This record gives sequence, C-alpha cells and structure tokens, in this order.
Amino acid sequence: MMWITALVSGIALGSFYALITMGFALIFGVTHAFNLAHGDLLVLAGYVAYWLWKAWDVSLVLAFPIAVVAMLFTLLVLQRLFSLLREPLELNSIIMSFGLAILLQNGMLFSFSGDYRLIPAPILTRGIHLDGLSVSYGQLTLVILSLIAIGLLHLVLHHTYLGKGLRATIQDREGAALAGINVRAMGVVAFSIGAVCIGLAGPLYGAIYYLYPTAGLQATLLAVTITIFAGVGRIGGLLLGGWVLGLAESAAVILLGSSWRELVSAVILMVLLVLRPQGILGREQG
Amino acid sequence: MLAWRAATVSCLLMLCIWGPALSASPIKIGDIHPLTGRLAKHGIESHQGVMIAVAEVNEAGGLLGRQVELASRDDQSLPEVAISRAEELCAREKVLGFTGGYEDSLVGAVSEVARKHRVPFVASASLQKELVLHANPYFFRVASLQGFVEPLCDFLTNRLRPERLVILHAATPGATEFAADLRDCLKSRGTETRFLEKFRPGTPDFTPLIARLATLPADVIVSGGFFPDHLLFLRQLKEQRVNLKGYIGPWGIAYESFLREMGEDAEHLFGTSAWNPGITLPGTEAASQAFIERCRRLFHQEPSSTTMHGYTAARALLAAIEEVLRRNEPLTGAAIRQALSGLDLLLPMERLSFDERGDPRAYRHVVVQVQGGRFVVVYPPERASGSVVYPAPPRSQRP
Repeated sequence: MMWITALVSGIALGSFYALITMGFALIFGVTHAFNLAHGDLLVLAGYVAYWLWKAWDVSLVLAFPIAVVAMLFTLLVLQRLFSLLREPLELNSIIMSFGLAILLQNGMLFSFSGDYRLIPAPILTRGIHLDGLSVSYGQLTLVILSLIAIGLLHLVLHHTYLGKGLRATIQDREGAALAGINVRAMGVVAFSIGAVCIGLAGPLYGAIYYLYPTAGLQATLLAVTITIFAGVGRIGGLLLGGWVLGLAESAAVILLGSSWRELVSAVILMVLLVLRPQGILGREQG
Repeated sequence: MLAWRAATVSCLLMLCIWGPALSASPIKIGDIHPLTGRLAKHGIESHQGVMIAVAEVNEAGGLLGRQVELASRDDQSLPEVAISRAEELCAREKVLGFTGGYEDSLVGAVSEVARKHRVPFVASASLQKELVLHANPYFFRVASLQGFVEPLCDFLTNRLRPERLVILHAATPGATEFAADLRDCLKSRGTETRFLEKFRPGTPDFTPLIARLATLPADVIVSGGFFPDHLLFLRQLKEQRVNLKGYIGPWGIAYESFLREMGEDAEHLFGTSAWNPGITLPGTEAASQAFIERCRRLFHQEPSSTTMHGYTAARALLAAIEEVLRRNEPLTGAAIRQALSGLDLLLPMERLSFDERGDPRAYRHVVVQVQGGRFVVVYPPERASGSVVYPAPPRSQRP
C-alpha cells in the first residue's frame, strides 16, 4: 500500500509541476522571453483568489475566472514591456523579469504581509478511501486539471491554424516570419495562453500548497527545471516530465528518505541533460 | 600668550554651550532583521519588538534622560547582505550595540562582524550551539536550544510516554541539533525514538513520508519543522486519514496566525511557547500587558512570540547601556559587553541573565495544547492552566 500511495502522490505532484510550468514553457518557447517573474505572477494569482475569498467570501471555483482575467491583463502589460527589449532578448528578459520579480515580491509583502496564507477549500482535503489507500480530491483535481489543460493546449497546437503558427514560431522564429507568420502576434497569443495557465495554477497553488510573498522563487525554479526536462518548446513533454520528477521524488522518499528527494531529482536532470539534451520527448536534430 | 588665553576661553565657552547638549545626545543602537525575503514574516515581527522596547524607554524619559535612536537595516534574508548591513551599522552609524537576526545563518554571520568591531550584538532568535562555542565575547542571545529540548523531553517522558515516537525535523542546523538532542535526552530516560528523519523546509508533498510513517504506525510525532511545513504536513495527514495520539511542533504552532489558518484542524495539537499574549512568566503580568498594549497602539496588531523575542533582546541591550551610564563609565563596546554579562532582568519571556558563552541561563518554553481554539499551558505542572487531552480523539469522533 505504501508504494501505491507513493505512486498516486508522485503522479499528483508531477501534475502540479506540469500545471505550474505550462505558462512559462509556452511563453519561453514562442517568444524566447525568459520570465524569472513567472512564479511571482503565479503567487500573485493565488493572492487574487485569497483576497477575493477574504473580502467577499468568493469560493475557489469562482475565483479561477477572475484570477485568469487579472493575469491576462498583467501578462499583456508584461508582453508589451518585453516587446520593448532589444537583442539579446533572453538575457535582457532575465534582467527585466528579475527586477519585476523583486517588485512583485515587495508589493505582495506590503499588501498581504509576510504571513503564510491558505485558501480554504475543505472539499480538496476530502477524498476516496479504499482499503487503506487514500486519494484526496485535491490530488484528483491536480491530475484531472493538468490532463485537461495539457490536452486543450495540445489540441490548439496541433489541430488549429493558430497552433501551427505557434509551433512554427517555437521551432524557428525567423523561418516562421519569412513564411508570413506574424511572430509578434504569436507572442501576444503565447502570453495570453500563458496568463490563462497562470490564472488557473495560482489559486490552486494557494489551496493545495500555501502562499507567501517569496514563494514564487520555488515555482520559477520548478518551471525552468521541468521546461528543460521536457525539452524547450515540447509542450507535450511537460506532463511526462512532471510525472517523472514527481515519481522519482516520491520513490526517493520511500527508498532513501526525505533528505534524498531533491538530490535524486537533480541527478536525473543532470543525466538527462547529458544523455538527452533535447528533452524527454525531443528528437535529435540532424 | 594672548592667543593661548583666547583659545582656552573659547574652549571653555564651547564646553559651556555644547557640554549639556553632548551629555543629552541620543543613544544610538542598531537592529538588523530580514524585513524582506523568505524570512520577512518573522523578521518584521522581531523588528517590531525592538521598536516597542525603544518606544517604551523613550516614553519613560530615555536612558538617564537620553533618548534612544534606532538605526534599522534589512538583511533581505541573505547572510551576505546581513554582513554588509552589520558593517554599516558598526562602522558608519557607530551604534553602541545592535540586536536582531533570525535564523542562525544570518546570526552567525553578523556575530563575527560584532566581534571584529567590538560592538555587542544581542540576537533575538538563534539556537545553533556552535555559534557560542567560539568564545565571542561580543555575542549574546536571548534564546537557546535547551529551552525547547528540556521541557519537551520532560513532557514526553513524564506525561505522554509514547510507544512509537517519531521525530521529524527541517534540514536546518538548529532543527537538526534539536532533533539529535531530543533523541539523546529521551534515550537517557529510557524512551526510544522509533524513526528520525529530516526534510527540506518548504517540501511540497509529505504524502510518501506519511505513507512510511503509517507502516510503523507512529503514535506521537514531534515535528521540528516551521509554520508552513506544519500547515502542509497536517493537512496531508488528514487527507491520508492518519490518526495520531499526539502531534507536537516546537516551532510554528503556538501562534495566533497558525490558529487562524488551520481553524478546527489545529485542535489538540501541541506546541511550545516562551511567551504569547496569554502566557507570561509569573510576576510579569503587568509588564506583559503593557507590551501587548504598546504593540496594539504602535502596529495595530497582536504581538507574537517572535515580537517578544525582539523586545527581550532590545531590552537587554538597553538595560546594559543604562547600567554603563549609571556607573558613569564611557559608553564603549567593552563596557556594554561587561554590563550585559552581569545583567539580571525579569522580563515577560524569561528571567534574563547570560552565561559565560552568551547563552541565556533561564530560557525555557512551556508546552501548550490547542483546546477550544486557544492555547492552554499543559506542562510543566506549576505553570499549567489546564489538563492535557491525550490521546487526541480520532478524526471520526471530532465535530
């Protein structure tokens, strides 16, 4: 039973990782903007949901669309800022988003204090209990929501003209531009889809995990790790990458102890970077 | 000759004019806290405690008539920043002493700056034993690890007597030492620890660890994690329907904000506290109430145990400076350090005096349990305000 619990936990945790990562991976893939404030934006979305609950008793379910709208507005402003940057875009975006991250952290510290906040969602702590195995609705929500989100993103990317444009931009920006694709517009679309992902993941982060102003750093690191793990631009690999990491961490806790958790993840990531630098699902070039 | 006389008269005149002003010049002390970054919550609370102590002294007319000026610095929860801020306070601001610090990585770094500049540093929150092993005469602290270990060891062996005890702890120096010391103390009294494990603070998922604990099965868990770790761990224990006879969190549980976030799920949990608004050292009730009211007036909020730690550290430093002034000695780092060594101060959190290493002699927590949404002191018996509820009722029997 211990192993089944670890399996469920690893899948749920991996799904959570994938949800956190989706927005970052898509924006980075399409625009090459390395958004170090990604985690802070996610925490901000969580605080929006927390504030809605605290001020007007708005439930988590109703908070999702409002957080999505708030993030759409914020991310479009961010996209505008990034579009003003000159080459090298990756480096300049790191510097700008680092400054933004500090700004957001201090803003949240000022607005919400340094206290740890939980968005109450009692339903998420209940669950299904079968012969010693417990699966919480929180874990189920993570798995289902990540499957739906990845599935929808996959549909958009692979079965629409817009998706073709996005994929072409991910693969080769200059080539896409030469083929007549408006890569600037693709950037706006990527930021918009990224905002939806962040608006969904943020409130969930506050309900499943907890919020505090500097929590975003950990989320950003996770997003960067899983994006590398999946292969840059490989949206489909995000869920698989998240699951591999989640399962590896759970297995490490059972077999070796809690203190080995991060070490095992780090070793897997390093091995992967050496053996498969194109990511889990990536194809070798040439 | 005439010039010499003129110079002498000028000097005398200047002394007459500036002398009283010099003697009444403000006393400058410093404080360094993590006001931003990952430790901001605790740093801000401790910093508020320091400000309360300074306000208290100034409202009472200052230190022998001299007002106290506070130079505050934010270390951003980063040791390297803490060092530069401490240098700034000692070298540029020329403070007579300073206080603050949260977490040993910050305190340790700052204590070495204090030694270098020979400026006394009274840490408000520090536990790691190694920090006082290097004979730093300018380092003092108002908390110590034994203040947690001894009462918990007594409580577990005398009152709970668990059969399958588990100790978990965050992978920080203080928490690691705490877990090892508690295990050793329990062992010396015939109580075996069945499982001891560390985890990284901020771990996102405790479920696999809980699955391992369920195979023992554990009946009492002592978790040397911090506030957010308890939030997540306890919620996942509930999700996994693990029933424990007792759960003890020496850090992070005995806070009003913890009760606010956990709600009914906090019921029957054990924590430890050196002070909180309902728990004060006998004989200090009036001082404790004055502290609470001053905190409400200045910051419009209730003080926490961390606020009291900041207050206690600042009070120690201010009392030592006052003692030097009273003796009519020059206000040097060495004289203030000497006064700190001989201090004996009754404060709401502890009767404060320092041993030869700078550790507090009488810092000791009480064990509290959440009962009916409030903290009840359950150990030691002489300070208990209620009885222990143990074992905790199974979840199925809770409302």
